Amino acid sequence: MSTFLDLATLLLPLLYLGAAVAYGFVFFAAHPTAGRVATPALHGAVVLHLAYLVCLILRHRQFPAATVSQALSIVALAVAIVYVFVEWHGRERSTGFWMVALVFFFQLLSSVLVRPNPPDRQIFHDALFSTHVSLALLGYAAFVVGAAYAFLFLQLYRDLKAGRFSTFYGKLPPLEVLERMMLGALSIGFLALTGAVISGALYAEQLYHNAWLRDPKILVTLATWVLYASALLLRRLRRWQGRQTAVASLAGLCAILFSLVAVNFFFTDFHGFL
Amino acid sequence: MSLPADPPLLLVGTDFRCSPIEIRERVAFHGEDSEHALVHLLARPGIAEAYLLSTCNRTEVYVQPRDEDEAYRSVLDLIFLNRAPDLEKPGRLYVKRNSEAARHLLGVASGLESMVLGEPEILGQIKQSAALAETVGASGPVVRRLLRSAFSAGARSRQETAITAGAVSLGYAVVELARNIFSGLEECRVLLVGAGEIARSVARPLVERGARELVVTNRSIERAQQFKEEFPLAELVSFEQRLDAVRSADVVVVSTSADEPVLTRKQLKEAMKSRSTRPLLVVDLGVPRNVEPSAAKIDNLFLHAIDALEHIIQRNLKRRREEVPHVEEIVEQELDHFRHWFHSLEAEPVVASLQKQAERIRQDEVAAVLSRFPAETHADLERLTRSLVRKILHHPSTRLRSRNGAQDLAHLEFVRELFHLDDDEPSEGHDRS
Repeated sequence: MSTFLDLATLLLPLLYLGAAVAYGFVFFAAHPTAGRVATPALHGAVVLHLAYLVCLILRHRQFPAATVSQALSIVALAVAIVYVFVEWHGRERSTGFWMVALVFFFQLLSSVLVRPNPPDRQIFHDALFSTHVSLALLGYAAFVVGAAYAFLFLQLYRDLKAGRFSTFYGKLPPLEVLERMMLGALSIGFLALTGAVISGALYAEQLYHNAWLRDPKILVTLATWVLYASALLLRRLRRWQGRQTAVASLAGLCAILFSLVAVNFFFTDFHGFL
Repeated sequence: MSLPADPPLLLVGTDFRCSPIEIRERVAFHGEDSEHALVHLLARPGIAEAYLLSTCNRTEVYVQPRDEDEAYRSVLDLIFLNRAPDLEKPGRLYVKRNSEAARHLLGVASGLESMVLGEPEILGQIKQSAALAETVGASGPVVRRLLRSAFSAGARSRQETAITAGAVSLGYAVVELARNIFSGLEECRVLLVGAGEIARSVARPLVERGARELVVTNRSIERAQQFKEEFPLAELVSFEQRLDAVRSADVVVVSTSADEPVLTRKQLKEAMKSRSTRPLLVVDLGVPRNVEPSAAKIDNLFLHAIDALEHIIQRNLKRRREEVPHVEEIVEQELDHFRHWFHSLEAEPVVASLQKQAERIRQDEVAAVLSRFPAETHADLERLTRSLVRKILHHPSTRLRSRNGAQDLAHLEFVRELFHLDDDEPSEGHDRS
């Protein structure tokens, strides 16, 4: 099993890179054969990725988010699965390059940061805590997907506004579809993050009583939650248009990255289990 | 007797490059006209098969001649000179023979010969003409197989290359822009400000591509009424109500001859306030401009003038031109298949004799031993021996049919000798289709 895990750690970024290159040919060169290769390549990588995570669970007997590497790998897989669903549902591959490139990036980081023997932490055997982590990672993955669609939306919006019919024009789904995909991903992310905040609060209350409320990581997460809640509410009330929501989505992703990297590494010991 | 090296074909035609519209319309054939023309062509002794393609840009006749000179004279008189004697002037008609004629039809089907490179309608027109030739009985095995190659070249060019990609007319450029913004034209309400020729040329592709609603407004009511005659489902609104119409529209196409903007930034900003979050595409085809250019700064409003559409068209045409070498490659591949098929006809008598001889041997041998087997196994025995013969002969038959070039003729003779095939085998039964 350990040989398989070592091999998969090496292979996964390579497979995602291969799939991203194939999707790149679809996007930039409208290559017909690349389209037929890209989807099976991604499906193959996702299957291997699932097997990899199952093996991690079987080997360490705990939820596979005990290290930064494992958490990033789960986010990568979640983004990949969300995209596979989007491609199957929408029957179009034009956004594949951007999504699979993100998956490759997360999985590459995960493979680089991998630790051969992650610590066995009791906390990861707790059901409520595992729910909290799963929901948080699902939420992050959905926000990453939402931000990717927001980025593409803003690029196409800018091209269409300026009458610049170059890189993005004609190669992406229409603005309305990109906006719908972005809003769908943000809604899923928001629900998951809400669940993560509630389950996290319940769990922390048992252990730390009120002390957890002063943790910087929680404060940043709550600020992020408020940002997404406002963006979705203003869009629903038709006060904001797609462009403002897209900008908010990118700002939200920056907040998440800040919370994951800076806050986790420098400001908190409360969320220092990763 | 051996077949000629190239499929015998003769093409006589004229198109937009050789003849002006005044001449082309005289030699345009539709419906019954085409039918009569084909019947008359077939009645000529020099013509074995015929195919007539007549569109607004070309009239072409393809024949499989029994006598090439006689066929040429017949086509010239019956189809062209009788109707337009001017075509006798040098350069008005083109004549192509054999593989060149076949290559030309494959190029036409692929959109290489169209006035607008990659124009997609031609393949449908070729299919319609083919159906007519089939109904009249004008197409025989050679023309039928040539048409099959043409369909294949046309379909492959569209699937495997970007020869038909992108809009190359004003109307389709508007459709393309709308498709980059809205999830479907079926959900779009289109407002046309101005009802002149430009508005019509834009309305046609929008309606064709399924625009949900068409609303038109024009200063002169008469012109708007004329527009409605051509587009009966269009809704007319008065020119004064145009701002109300903008509020509920998704695509606004402005093409008036006004010297002043008919839609100002202020008016559009007001209209946008009362709209939902749905974007608005405004296309200004007027010169001088009919929409205040500063309106482009309004959020969620996409304003494009005629230059932008021209830019889209030029970009798409360039992309199509880049695809020409790939399409030519497909045409050559399909032409090779057609030639291959034609050459395989020479092998058919040998293959047929070989199969007949094998079948005779099989029947004799089965008859000799059949009585030794129980009756209930006879059907199985038949099936088994038939399958054996078929499998043994499959590869040699395929190989013989796929021979390439005259040097392989010796192989056919060798096979005849090797298997002692009778020379007096009837050859009429060869399926040339």
